[in-house]
Amino acid sequence: MKLSRARLAPICLVAGAFALAGCGAASTTGGTSSTGASTGGSAASQILRIPYLADMSVPDPDIFYDIEGNSVILSTYDGLVTYAPGSTKIIPDLATSWTISANRLTYTFHLRAGVHFHDGSVMTSESVKRSFQRRLAVNQAPSYMLKPIASMATPNPLTFVVHLKSPVNPFIDYMASSWGPKVIGPAALVTHAGKDHGETWLQTHDDGTGPYELTSFARGRQYVLTRSTDYWGAQPYFKEVLIKITPDIGTQQLELQNGDVDAIMHSFPASELNSLPSNVHAEEFPSFLRLLLYVNTNKPPFNNPAVRASLRSDVNIPQLVSEAYSGTATPSVGAYPEAILPNQPKLPYAPNAKLASAGAKAASTKNITLAYTADESGVQRRVGELIQADLEQAGWSVTVKEVQLPQVYGYINNLKTAPDLMLQTNTPDASHPDTWARILFDSTGGLNFLGFKDPTVDSLLNKALSAPAAEATSLYQQVGQDVVNSNEIFFLGDVKNVFVLNKDLTGVEQVPAYPWTVTLADLKRAGG
Amino acid sequence: MAGLVGRRTLALVAVMFGLVVIVFALQAVIPSDPVRAMVGASAPPAVVAQERHKLGYDKPLPERFVDYLDRLVHGNLETSLRTRNPVTQDLATFAPATLELALSAAVLAGVLGVGLGLLLVGGGRPARLLRLILIGGASVPTFLTALLAILLFYSTLHLLPASGRVSDTLVVPNGPTKLLLVDSLVHGEPNLFWSALTHLIMPAFTLALLPALAIARTLATSCQQIMREDYVRTARSKGLRERRVLLRHALRNAAGPALTMSGLQFGLLLGGIVVVEQIYAWPGLGLYLDQSIAYSDFPAITGTTLLLGAAYVIVNFTVDLAQAWADPRIRTV
Repeated sequence: MKLSRARLAPICLVAGAFALAGCGAASTTGGTSSTGASTGGSAASQILRIPYLADMSVPDPDIFYDIEGNSVILSTYDGLVTYAPGSTKIIPDLATSWTISANRLTYTFHLRAGVHFHDGSVMTSESVKRSFQRRLAVNQAPSYMLKPIASMATPNPLTFVVHLKSPVNPFIDYMASSWGPKVIGPAALVTHAGKDHGETWLQTHDDGTGPYELTSFARGRQYVLTRSTDYWGAQPYFKEVLIKITPDIGTQQLELQNGDVDAIMHSFPASELNSLPSNVHAEEFPSFLRLLLYVNTNKPPFNNPAVRASLRSDVNIPQLVSEAYSGTATPSVGAYPEAILPNQPKLPYAPNAKLASAGAKAASTKNITLAYTADESGVQRRVGELIQADLEQAGWSVTVKEVQLPQVYGYINNLKTAPDLMLQTNTPDASHPDTWARILFDSTGGLNFLGFKDPTVDSLLNKALSAPAAEATSLYQQVGQDVVNSNEIFFLGDVKNVFVLNKDLTGVEQVPAYPWTVTLADLKRAGG
Repeated sequence: MAGLVGRRTLALVAVMFGLVVIVFALQAVIPSDPVRAMVGASAPPAVVAQERHKLGYDKPLPERFVDYLDRLVHGNLETSLRTRNPVTQDLATFAPATLELALSAAVLAGVLGVGLGLLLVGGGRPARLLRLILIGGASVPTFLTALLAILLFYSTLHLLPASGRVSDTLVVPNGPTKLLLVDSLVHGEPNLFWSALTHLIMPAFTLALLPALAIARTLATSCQQIMREDYVRTARSKGLRERRVLLRHALRNAAGPALTMSGLQFGLLLGGIVVVEQIYAWPGLGLYLDQSIAYSDFPAITGTTLLLGAAYVIVNFTVDLAQAWADPRIRTV
């Protein structure tokens, strides 16, 4: 067929549009390749691009209580103390030193001099006190860390004193927690306080003392962190951090491969870590993320202690962890992460076909439901399927279903309709056993989803909160043992933080208590 | 015409009411605790209770329903549990991106649909082959089209960006329309225009594909019927060329079913927005809705559902008007 000029015109137009589209992208991204890939120009190389799978709730440190968004909070704000990279050791942050009175009721923090907020004003003890008061006034979830405070004093501009109502062993860990109190400047606390303690203003701004300033917060699209010119510590390498909301992990992977993002901070499919393209690499760090199996003891069949005891023999946990996590998790060794409570008794889980089968036979019903919370990497679904296979081999009939987190929070209101088993990955708020045990094992704990209730455990936990250190350790161990013996919560795996990064990205520092988070200020580009 | 407007306005109110009822019924059926999810796991019970009371979640569902309707009438869609913004404010933030995407997709679907439909009418071997391709294309789910498009145009050919609405280093102007293609031209920013256009192509095409195929098949069938009518035979006998007969005499009369199909397909297009916006990280209502569902953020879910539902009714109303224009007999019905 002969193509007339009229017929050729639209074809040429379409072809031209595609060609221009390619050229257009190159000309608009400034130092990027056809699809935005970094070319190593100095301005482009000082921009760090990382994706988030979802929007963070709000960048207000007194409200924020999620995991996605931690890197924004920790890059824009500082607390009094923090954790040393890769450890549970508490080190100075805005406080250069601190003392704890003999009766463990008074904490005296000596503050760093010459620290400025992002609005330019100087940080003093009064700023710290106002920040603590704001957290209590806002009264959202993270405020629990300051509830034990009886009074605060500011004897001089660089000394901040806290008096507690009674000794609270994890108090200093609360101060180091990623969700712990941060020091906020007068821009939020005074200028933009409004009638809501500055909550509206802090939804899109920051006024911290961190290495980066939140210069743009476009919800659903992108957050921009800009290097603070007045930061008290070492200047970060990256001038700008662009955090882009990219909800699909597959798209994130392709963008990493093409150099359009620099790192994926979590949920990278573990099974693909062994076949990474040559321009990216993975770095693994220990974390306190733990995979748990909750057992619903409020209805048959697991209200029968003998039946749920048989669950110890159903699952080959080392094999399960190995298959589902491809080396990015290890079988749990105790009821607590080992780093925050060493020398725990070994968990009594071992596969035994005979015992497993006997448990299923003794059950009043063999039809059970196993729920798992949705996660982008798909690892919990994989774990669920592997457990399903093990349980079915023992004689159970298992229905696996995916649920959303708010549904999980709702189970406690009607435990009779809640699933029989539930998989969930949790992390403590800080590197202290109390921050793990209280939310999981206490009868009113926020992560106690299927109504575990043991008055002895509640009482031991209350005692441990203010007991002398050695006694407290023993009490936490006893609590852990009681929970393990109850067979109501099974501790399956300790999951690592896995960061997949461009080959040229170096300086990855990570704190086990800060899940999915690297210290952005420490990152560098090789040769930069 | 006044009767038509009146009926459609009533339909709009009925649809909105029905949607509110459905979302509230879902709240009763799904055993979730959005307030707990909002304040966080370690929140003391007193904080949870206080927040529950503040948000009115401690009231019985029927009472909350009545309160919601009362606020809705006054233009208040409550506050999002996740973003803590008024839902109306969030919708104003996210809706322009969806509007730009949906309008582009709708135009693309219309152009592609009519073009392919006319090709099908041509008959012969090419038309049969095209019909086979269309049937095959219609069976590919949207998410797969999206992934294939990303693999081809982004990962392999490096022609188009994979995600977002605009390049991350460009500054987005704050209005006047919040439609980036328009605003970039208003502000005289050709780089921004190109960036916005290249980011729009894949999502719009992915979203437009299924509706376009449906429109094409409907239009082709309708045209083929019309082409057998007496007046078409008369036109042919006058010696008019086939193309002229089709375009001048048959197409307008065959447009009715295709227009109806376009309206219906707009619903499909809106349904596909959640998937498309998620895969392409398009910061619109679909992404907002998806994130809100994961949070059981019922005020946000209800607000977005109402907005999308209203858009569906309004588009179908517009289609009715277009049909009335195309076929004067409808105006009297």
